[in-house]
Amino acid sequence: MKKQDAFFEKFLPKSLKSLIDPGSGKRNYKLLRAILAVTMLAISIGPVLIVAGLGYRNYGDLVLKAEDQQLEWQLDGKVKSIKHMVKNLRSVVQFTARRDRYTELIEGDSLENLFLRLKQQYPFFADLGVIDETGIQQAYVGPYELQGANYQEEKWFGEVSDRGVYISEVYTGYRQVPHFAIAVSNYDPKTRQVWTLRATIDASTLQQFVNTIKTNASDDLFLINNQGVLQTSSAYYGDTLSQFSAPSFYGIQHDISLEGEYIFRAILQIEDTPWALVLIKKRFIHQADWKNFQDKLSLIVMACIVLSVLVICLLVSLLTGLISKVDDLQIAMLKEAEHTDKLASIGRLAAGVGHEINNPLAIIDQKTGLIDDLLQMSGEFEHKAMINNSVKVINQSVERCKIITHRLLGFARRTDIASEWLRINTIVSEVLQFLDNALLYSRIKVDLQLQDDLPRIMSDRMQLQQIFLNIINNAIDAIGKDGVINIITHKIAGDIRVVIQDDGPGIPEEVLPHIFEPFYTTKETGKGTGLGLSITYGLIKRLGGDITVRSHVGTGTAFTITLPIHNEAQNDRRQ
Amino acid sequence: MIDDNDKIKVLIADDEVEFASTLATRLNLRNFSTTVVNSGQQTLSAVAKEQPDIVLLDLKMPDLDGLEVLAMLREEHPELKVIIITGHGSFEMGREGMELGASDYIMKPVDLNLLIEKISDICLGSKKDS
Repeated sequence: MKKQDAFFEKFLPKSLKSLIDPGSGKRNYKLLRAILAVTMLAISIGPVLIVAGLGYRNYGDLVLKAEDQQLEWQLDGKVKSIKHMVKNLRSVVQFTARRDRYTELIEGDSLENLFLRLKQQYPFFADLGVIDETGIQQAYVGPYELQGANYQEEKWFGEVSDRGVYISEVYTGYRQVPHFAIAVSNYDPKTRQVWTLRATIDASTLQQFVNTIKTNASDDLFLINNQGVLQTSSAYYGDTLSQFSAPSFYGIQHDISLEGEYIFRAILQIEDTPWALVLIKKRFIHQADWKNFQDKLSLIVMACIVLSVLVICLLVSLLTGLISKVDDLQIAMLKEAEHTDKLASIGRLAAGVGHEINNPLAIIDQKTGLIDDLLQMSGEFEHKAMINNSVKVINQSVERCKIITHRLLGFARRTDIASEWLRINTIVSEVLQFLDNALLYSRIKVDLQLQDDLPRIMSDRMQLQQIFLNIINNAIDAIGKDGVINIITHKIAGDIRVVIQDDGPGIPEEVLPHIFEPFYTTKETGKGTGLGLSITYGLIKRLGGDITVRSHVGTGTAFTITLPIHNEAQNDRRQ
Repeated sequence: MIDDNDKIKVLIADDEVEFASTLATRLNLRNFSTTVVNSGQQTLSAVAKEQPDIVLLDLKMPDLDGLEVLAMLREEHPELKVIIITGHGSFEMGREGMELGASDYIMKPVDLNLLIEKISDICLGSKKDS
């Protein structure tokens, strides 16, 4: 715990001790506010950001996976379509090259008729040729003079002889027009030789077909051969027969950058053909959904942050406000404690001084008394009158000193308090009886508003008498001549309150804070010791009570004494 | 003239010698018979020897505490009148003394007239013929 405390101490404002030191000033509330705010923000916004980040990533992965799958399905479908088309073309050529048709096809116009019929149904056929076992073209229908051409050395001729069927890549050939060929070989039982039917098909057929199966699901769709040469045109890579990269990989590739955008690229080989299908798709098929998700996520995160900031600012300002208030209260309490302590120290000092002076004063008093006695007894002599006068002045001075020492000794009251059940109203009346003459002499009227059914209080009679005596005496002094003193008693909660109010000149604002300080007096020298209210304050505090003062120059002064019905402070002391 | 026997016998017990002797002189001038002692022990023996009418007892003496002396005096001489003299300037010590059986108390510096008044009041009850 201590380690933690030390750790937090580093961040938290200076300890209370430094607050007592007037030089160090108050806590650094700005720093406290900043630390609290940053900590709370980190705690509240951190998890939101983490969750949002995780959500963003996972949803992204999910979208990517879904896109992958969709792309795979698409590609699969397209590849199947192309295969189907190629199969159809091959079937047509295979049907045309029925094995016993060799003789029929190389004679007369029959190949031409067949070609015309075929062309009616399949306009993309460019030419037809019948080739014998040795590779010599025996019959030909088409735009070129290829009758008798020898294909013996051609690679495709070897392949068709071996496998029975051959589909070529797209090439330009003699015509300089992209086309491809399908060749089918068959054994003619009549001539007992293997012959070949070769049909050339316009490459635009492939292009048209690819165009028809191209949907919005793909941004580019084209065929390539094994060397990566485009077999149909591509939106990104150019026209037919342009060079694309040779496929090193079949399947779906992610994160390829194309013209500054990330794309998916899928390449799939089409069986029994020299082609591979390439599908290019910009990433995020569900771009709208993805955007929507991003928008919503950022909205939620922003809302969380804004809300957190608002709530935290409010909380932090409330908290620091509270701490500041508590600090102020504590400082005030410490100051009051310090003040009380100061009073107690002064009290002890004063009592000590008072006692030490009181004894010699008693001797001076007796000696002057004796001189006076002797003077009375002796007859006239020189300077007798002067000595007599001096003795009188000494006596007056001793009297003044006596008042001071008695008040100083008042501080030395023993802490024991005699407790008994007392009626405040009775004590007020008793004190007023003491002061009857003074009140009469000063023509001061006392207006009593004493609550009849006040509960009795457990307190000290003598001390209460002295308290009231001091305050009423002060009121008499303040009024001087002709005035009114109001004395009000009433019960408030567990306390009894006595208000003693005079209509004297009032206490100036600058004097008011000092009136309970010892030796503070505004009376002319010799008239007041400045101890009366200070002693009164100490007595009231010792009885567990409190005294406050309100005063306005010109209207008068009111002292409010609050006394507890049960004095707990006193009970504690007794225990 | 008042006979010596009719005078009120006052025992002044105070460790402040000058105070006690001067007070004694002044009381003598006013027709009191006085004896001065300066400690608790002396007080106890002087009371036994002099049989005073009244004792002026200081509460602060070097050997014995004034209240202890008072308690002992009250025990041995229940009829003896005692006035407490206190240098503490408060009623409390006096009141405590009164609780222990003292007749009255007076604070230093002592107002002689007030003291004589108190002595007379207390002693008149037992010496009506003065």
